[in-house]
Formats: sequence, structure tokens, C-alpha cells
Amino acid sequence: MTSVVGAADALDGSTLYDSAARVRVRRTMELARSILSNPTTMAGLILVLALLAMALLAPIITEPNTPDPAQMPRDWGAIAVPPGSPDHLLGTTNTGGDVFYGVVWGSRTSLRLSILVVSITVTVGVIVGSVAGFLGGRVDEILMRIVDVFLSIPELIFALAIAAVLGPAFRNIILALAVVFWVKYARIMRGQVITVKRNDYVDAARVIGDTRLRIFAKDVLPNAITPVVVQATMDMGNIVLVGATLSFIGLAEAGLAEWGVLVAEGQAGISSGRWWASTFPGLMVFLWALGFNLVGDGMRDVLDPRTEKSR
Amino acid sequence: MTASSSVDVAAGEPRTDPKPVVAVNNLRVHFQVKAGVVEAVDGVNFELLEGETLGLVGETGCGKSVTARSFLGLVPSPPALPPQGTIDYRHRNGGGVVDLLTLDSEAMGDIRGNHIAMIFQDPGKALNPALTVRDQLGEVFLIHRSADVLEGAGFGADDTGLGASLIRRAARLKSGIIERLLLALPPLRNRRNRLRASADRLIMEALADTQIPNPANILDRYPHELSGGMKQRVMIAQALACNPDVLIADEPTTALDVTVQARIIELISQLQRRHNTSVLYISHDLSLVRRVCDRIAVMYAGRIVEIGPADQLFARPKHPYTRGLLAAIPSLASRAGELEAIEGTVPELIDPEPGCRFADRCRHSTEMCLSAEPNLVDVDVGHAVSCFAYAPITGSDQTPPTVADPAPAAASPSPAPARATDDRTAS
Repeated sequence: MTSVVGAADALDGSTLYDSAARVRVRRTMELARSILSNPTTMAGLILVLALLAMALLAPIITEPNTPDPAQMPRDWGAIAVPPGSPDHLLGTTNTGGDVFYGVVWGSRTSLRLSILVVSITVTVGVIVGSVAGFLGGRVDEILMRIVDVFLSIPELIFALAIAAVLGPAFRNIILALAVVFWVKYARIMRGQVITVKRNDYVDAARVIGDTRLRIFAKDVLPNAITPVVVQATMDMGNIVLVGATLSFIGLAEAGLAEWGVLVAEGQAGISSGRWWASTFPGLMVFLWALGFNLVGDGMRDVLDPRTEKSR
Repeated sequence: MTASSSVDVAAGEPRTDPKPVVAVNNLRVHFQVKAGVVEAVDGVNFELLEGETLGLVGETGCGKSVTARSFLGLVPSPPALPPQGTIDYRHRNGGGVVDLLTLDSEAMGDIRGNHIAMIFQDPGKALNPALTVRDQLGEVFLIHRSADVLEGAGFGADDTGLGASLIRRAARLKSGIIERLLLALPPLRNRRNRLRASADRLIMEALADTQIPNPANILDRYPHELSGGMKQRVMIAQALACNPDVLIADEPTTALDVTVQARIIELISQLQRRHNTSVLYISHDLSLVRRVCDRIAVMYAGRIVEIGPADQLFARPKHPYTRGLLAAIPSLASRAGELEAIEGTVPELIDPEPGCRFADRCRHSTEMCLSAEPNLVDVDVGHAVSCFAYAPITGSDQTPPTVADPAPAAASPSPAPARATDDRTAS
């Protein structure tokens, strides 16, 4: 025993602590490597990174429209130009909107939508689910009945109703999706918390005198959050899909640089051969949803070995 | 009620005898389920003496774990109804007596960890998979022994200034997010690292105490990277970190293989001798309990049916159930095929019938056993049994059961006499 203490003395504090930090870095690297070892995940990640880069670099890729860059620029001299023209790489809509501009700046709109909706829904869902699962009893009963009410209405129709009542604005789409999607997280989180809190290590933490809040933060939350993280990653994609649906049917401001709006704008031309105005933004929605779903799948395989598919 | 019973417990003992640390009086823990009330623990009485090892044995579902978990308020409620009776805990160093069942959460928080600790059955489930060994054990020291941690890091109590108070808060795990950021910055970083190193030293001492060969190597491991035996040692180190007066070991070796079992048991008893800890040893493994325990309490269907010194209980078991259990232990002396099983299964504890709960399975039972519940009665010094064969109801016209005294192997093979079972099902 003395030798052990001696060994610890030999290492001064910083060495010992830094070794812990190094171990942590190494583990993170290992985790990253195992996530990336799957080619489909890797493809998804590249896709997602490309889309994110596009959103972030939008002002560099194309000249921002003034005064509001989120609005489509209108070139009334070039209406329904096919793709490939020097000024309009992906052509224009029949109101002179540049499809390329819409595709690039639409990724910004989508990023804003997905980040806002996911962060709101995850926060609300995790709080509600945790409180319900951790406290149990009557609190659980009341919260879950509220969740049931929300679940009893089909997602899309519910979101549609909210957005329609609030009036056509992209902001209201965000709000509508946030109101609809949090229940899913609440349910996932509640189930997880109930499973995790039955573990002996939660009792063990109580035995050493931890407070309930500490037990939640240290024992329950880290062990329960994984499925939420996976679901949130996938929803980063799905929400853009649903959001595009809502703006397609006219719940966003007209002329917004948004993929759903653009698809709607171009759909009239499809039958007369002007395919490009709808196709490119539609493709973007597809790629966005695909990328985040592939990454989410890959994360689930690594983080939750029980659902691992045989590869 | 609490006061009077605890005074009896404290005053009644002569000085030389070990004093009871915990006295369980008429403990009842019932569970409300849809089908009725499960009387999982129904009138349990025993004392845990200072420095002794008391074995609590019985079949699965007899209420062993619920009894032990009641000590620490770990019985989930609901479904458990508020427990009845008292569990009187006496602080070792001249402190007063408290009833563990009536403590508020703050007082219970002090008892947990500081005074009563617990080792869990399955080390694989009792360690948080998201924490390294360092984090898992470190917090125990930071919560309960922050003074030692500060001292080990060379911080005196008279240090003043913002830095010192931040460090002191960190040593009690009270730092908020902003404080943690401040501590990570260069002016304080060095002191924080000294604090961490000091905690690490305590962790490694605790691990070395449990015979882990190279504690520094496992500090950064996660539970899934450790073997079962290692995990159990980490658990033990965690449980013993604060030198508890009472250690509850809930089948601490059931999940381990036999070779590791022996070492873990030896380890617990070594640590017990060093700190004069009382151990409540829960097990269904009788041969193991015999080796480890000073006294044994046999539980059946939520009650203690027999309690006594280990040697005596094994040499001269009194209760038919204890005899049945002992007869079911395989030994080298008995030939194959001679193992006796106790017929039947543990009764449903949902709204149980009156009478001795073992009566249905007991080959000696009579009407008396079905009409009333026997109480624990002393049959020898420190050896009590609850069976009408030893203490029939006085003045009753029903015949008490007779249990032949010889060793269990020679117990009479006669079939159970015709009993009132039919009457019961009819009624």
C-alpha cells in the first residue's frame, strides 16, 4: 500500500491529471474512428458537412440579395431560363428567381429551421420526459396524459393547423414544428429514465449520499440520453422535410429562399418542360434528409450496440 | 415508542458485550399491488451488534433484501407502503439513537455513506457505465472526506482569499459551471490539479486496500473494461471509503465465480476487522454464510423463523425450515440422491392466510400451526426459533407439532399428517 502512495507522490498533480485528459482524448478518437469505420455513415457525414459548408459559406458562394438575403433575387430580364446559362447556373423560375441562389440560401433557411426546432424540442422533451420518468407517480401521470393528447393528432396535420392559424410566415412553421415534435423526445426520454433509474448504480449513488439532482445529472442523464441524441440527429433531416412540406403548401412567405417554396414555385412549369425550378431544391431536401439519417443510423450502431445490425 | 425501545436497547446490555448498532423492531414492509397487499416483510426483529457479521439467509423472495434496503430507505415507494416498526441506529461515538425509518432526506443523506454503506449483488450493474473508476470513487471522497482531500493537497483551513474558497468549494463538489471555468484557468489551475492529485491518492489507497494490484492503472478505466471481481472491488472500495459502522452486503459474491468469491469474502472480513464494522450479510448460500458469519438469521416468507449463533444453528437447527435448508446443502459425506428438497414453494405473500407461513410445506404442522402465528422464542442462549413445537400456545386444545430433535438427516420420513388444508381452500 505504501508503495502505491509513493508512486502517486512521484507523479506531481498535473501529470496525473493530464494523463486523465489524454485518456479522454484518446477515447473520443476511438469513438470517432468506430463511427467513421462504417462507409455509409462516412458518406452521410461528408454529405452533411458539405451541406453545412454550403449554408455557412452562402454569402461567399453567391452575392447576398439586398436588402434581405433570405428573399429570392428577381431577374425580370431572365424568366424561366434553363440551367447552364452563365448568369443562372441552375436556371431561373418563371418569376425570374435564380434557382442556384435559392438552393444555396435555402440551405441556410433549412439549417436555421432544423437547429431551432431540434434544440427547442429536445430541450422541452428531455425536461418533460426526465421529470416524468424520474419523479414518477402523479407528476408522470399528468405529464404523460398531456403528451398523449399531443400524440393523438397526426403530426403533419397538427403542424399544418398551427401554422395556418398563426398565418403564413416561416417563423410560424418553426413554432408549429416545435409544438408538434417535442412529445416524441418526452416519450423517449421518459422510457430511458425509467429504465436507467432502476439500475443498482442509482441506488449505489443514493447509498453514498448523493442528492437527487446530482444523481440525475451524473447517473441518469448520461446513461439515458443516447437515443435522444440519435433521434435528434435524424430529426435534423426529417424536420427540413416536414418544414419544406409546409412551405410547399404555402405556409411560408412568398419569395422566401427556401426549398419548399421553390419547389412550389416551379411545379407549374414541370408539365411544360421547365423541370429545373422544382427538381434542384427537391433534390436538396432529399440530400439533407438522407445525410442526417445516415449519420444518425451510424451513431446508433456505435452508441447503442443492442440494435447493431449484422454487417 | 421509538424512544422507549431504543432506551431498552442501549441500557440493557452489560459493558463487555458488544452493543447493538442497529436494532430492528417489528419491521413491516408491505407492497400495494393490484392483486392486494404483499406482506414482503412482516414483523421482523433482530439486532446487529458492533463488529459482528450477521447472516440473513432464505429463499428468493423471502424479504431479505427488502429488510436490508429498509435500513437505507432504498425500498421504492410506491409500490411500498410506508414501513412500520422501527430500525434504531445508534451512532458509534456516543451519538444518539435515530430511527432510520423516520429520518428526513437530509439526515438520511448523512447516514448513507457516512455511517451505513452497501455492497450490491451485481457489480456489473452497480457501477455507472458512464463514469471512470476515478470519477466514480472520486466523488465519494469529495462528498464525504473533503477535509482529507484538502489536507492531502496541502491546503490549510486558514487559507483565505477567493482562490482558497473556490478550492474549498471544489473539494466539496460544490463548484458551479463558472467556478469550474475559473478553476481551469492558469492562476488556479495548478491548485486545482493538486486537489485532484490528492483525491487520486485517496482513491488509490482505497483501491489498494481491496488488493487491486496496480490501482493507478485502472483509474481511467470504465466499468465495462474491468472484470467482475475488479468491479466488485471497486464497489467495496466505494462502500468502505468512509469507514462505515454498518456494511450491508447484499449477496456480494453471487455474480462472481467461485475463486473470486473466496477472495472477496476474505477481503470484506479483513476490512471489517480493521474498522470494527458490523456486516449484515445477505445470502442464500448457506455454506458460505456458515464460513463468514457470527450469527445467522433465517428468513421465511417475510419473517425470521430462526436466529442464533452460526455454529449452534448449524449443529442444532430447530425450525423445520432451517432443517430443510441444511438438508439441502450438498456435502461430500452425503451420497448422490440423498439431497433433500423442501417440498412446495414459497407461499404467495399477497394477503396471506393467518397461521405459520411455513405450515403448508411443513411435514410436522398441525391445526395449531394453521390457526395462529408462532413468535420467536428463545430455546437456548441467543438462539430463538418461531415454531409451536418449542412454544405451544398455552391453554389451547389443539395439539402442537412435534419436531424430533435429532439432526436433519434423521428427521422422521413419515408423511405429513392429514391437515386442515382442505378446510382452508374450502373456506
